[in-house]
Amino acid sequence: MSPLLWLAALPCLYWTQGIESAPSLKAAGIERLCVPPERAEAWRGAGFSPVPISEGDLAVRDALLAPGIKARADRASATRSPWVDANGWRFLRNPAGQYVYDLPTGRAALAAAEAYVYGADAVLKIDPADLESLGRMLRFLSQLPANELPDAADLAVVDDGSAPLGEVLNLLVRRNLLVKVVKAPSAEFGINVKLGTKEYPLKEAGEPSALALKVRRQLGDEQRALRIFGSEAVIGRLTHHGSRTRLHLLNYGGRDLDGLRVHLRGTFPEGVAYVEGAGRVGLQERTAVEDGTEFTVPRLGAYGVVDLPPVK
Amino acid sequence: MDRRSFVRLLAAAPLAPALPEALPKLRIVTSYKPAAVPGMPGPYPGRVVAVQSEKSVDTASNAANDDVVREMMARGLCALTGAKTAPEAWRRFFVPADVVGIKVNCGGHPYVVSSYEIVTETVRQLMALGIPPAQIFLYERFQNQLDEVNYAPHLPEGVTIVAAETANRRADNRGYDPATYVEADLFGEEDTRSNMMRLVTQKLTKIVNIPNVKDHGATGATGCLKNIAYGSFSNVARTHYRGKSHTYSFVGTLASVEPLRSRTVLQIMDGLRGVWHGGPFARTRKYVFYPKQIMFATDPVAIDRLLLDIIDDERKAHGAISIYDRSPQYLKVDDGAARDTDPNVNIIIREPGHVEYAAKLGLGEADKARIKVQTIDV
Repeated sequence: MSPLLWLAALPCLYWTQGIESAPSLKAAGIERLCVPPERAEAWRGAGFSPVPISEGDLAVRDALLAPGIKARADRASATRSPWVDANGWRFLRNPAGQYVYDLPTGRAALAAAEAYVYGADAVLKIDPADLESLGRMLRFLSQLPANELPDAADLAVVDDGSAPLGEVLNLLVRRNLLVKVVKAPSAEFGINVKLGTKEYPLKEAGEPSALALKVRRQLGDEQRALRIFGSEAVIGRLTHHGSRTRLHLLNYGGRDLDGLRVHLRGTFPEGVAYVEGAGRVGLQERTAVEDGTEFTVPRLGAYGVVDLPPVK
Repeated sequence: MDRRSFVRLLAAAPLAPALPEALPKLRIVTSYKPAAVPGMPGPYPGRVVAVQSEKSVDTASNAANDDVVREMMARGLCALTGAKTAPEAWRRFFVPADVVGIKVNCGGHPYVVSSYEIVTETVRQLMALGIPPAQIFLYERFQNQLDEVNYAPHLPEGVTIVAAETANRRADNRGYDPATYVEADLFGEEDTRSNMMRLVTQKLTKIVNIPNVKDHGATGATGCLKNIAYGSFSNVARTHYRGKSHTYSFVGTLASVEPLRSRTVLQIMDGLRGVWHGGPFARTRKYVFYPKQIMFATDPVAIDRLLLDIIDDERKAHGAISIYDRSPQYLKVDDGAARDTDPNVNIIIREPGHVEYAAKLGLGEADKARIKVQTIDV
């Protein structure tokens, strides 16, 4: 991908403030903006790369959740695991969709990373107080080595377009069960989750967390391509092609993690991590285990990526 | 059977020490081999020395008497080991080259924590053996709890006070050994590992365990086993949730993992103060009581078996339900406020059977008839 196309793949900041706010944008290192069409020329004149987008354009985009964790005292859960609001399942379900985030303070950087990880066409409406952190994240994303690979998956989910299936997909992704969304059962996978079948009755979708756990146990943890230890607020996206592998790690927990252990099925040589806020860092304590490879990402802010070179 | 007998039987049934319906599969991963004589149960299985002194604590001020505690410790260790002097007794367990961890318990702050007096006397005796302060580590899992208790002013310079995590927030993992853990899927949680502290696997050669006499909402009582197990591993709160506890098998299993099992060579149960309800916390004095005793052993199971009775007897004395009570009528799941105000409220079905389970793992003696208790009055 060319640098320009790569830049265009980043989520776009929607900015309605006037041209007088240009210094704060420049200070944050943000040059590409989505702006009301009537202001585009002025922003271009000020040295920015504006993308005109009207209120009408925004209104037809799918609204996303603000990513993060929250307490859900109203909802029973099978585990002590935190409630994670994440949008990855929506991007997997509709990769060609157009999305918009309307974000409270403190969520802009994570939202930008989330959209980037799934290659989503997303516009970010943010609290201006987050300009600096968003700028840092966008700069980090733009400097990552290009490495666009297809998803690795352990199972298929047959998308019937329904809301219940969406929630099941959400819970599967949140549990780091790597899914491929398909239109019909795929012979490529031993597990095809199709609601309304004998194995996955529609009524089970009423308890999506329980259904996700059922799928996890059907698969077996030892068969999973990705396991994450040390946090229940990190969602991974594993991409792989041929001998190249990239693991995206999104940390929804709102605080930096010190030492995240990753288990990948298969054999991998020494890799490298790029962590927002820390730059390039070496992976630590890599060990070959019975059924895979484990390593520690020493530090993880909102987002990090692990690149694993080809096995020689 | 007549109706009255049947009703009596029904009423009694919940008090039976029932087994959890299904034990989870627990997988131990460690590369460490056991010592020739593992520290638990050590050289004195089934043996407990209980030293009591009315003068050990001023119940009005909650303050312990340093001189009395020192004498209690000397008498207790000598009785346990058969040594004539305290230094000789300590030499049975430690050599100058040892790097010693002292596992304290700070969870019952402010009223029931490992006493300064017992901890400082332990450090003093270790140093008297020739162990330099740089080789002595006071440890807990959470730094914020250690900060609250603040042992530093009571300890010689050079002793390290260290925790694995800044607080109980699941963000700091570097203090844990990624290669030494117990794996279990208990409630469908994603993070299925509990890792042992690096301090234990990579630095310490011996450990002194100093728990307290405390009630516990999930285990019935928390003593030697739970202090050393849940205090040396990560991600353990996941074992009890929504009224159900997997502590029955998890506590003993963690304690049995090498090198923790081999390196924990001495149990000093701080029973100067205790908490009979609301544990492991002691945020008010409402449930604090004063056993005024210190128990010494190498066998954590034997002490904990006695502990179950101490807690249960104290609860009975206050008219509270037994720690063995499993009846749903007293269960208010997750209602911590109700539990704190009413000693007849459980928030989890307790599993005091964890002590017996630990015995099955070879960690010590849980049969009271086979536990030899020597009582000393100071």
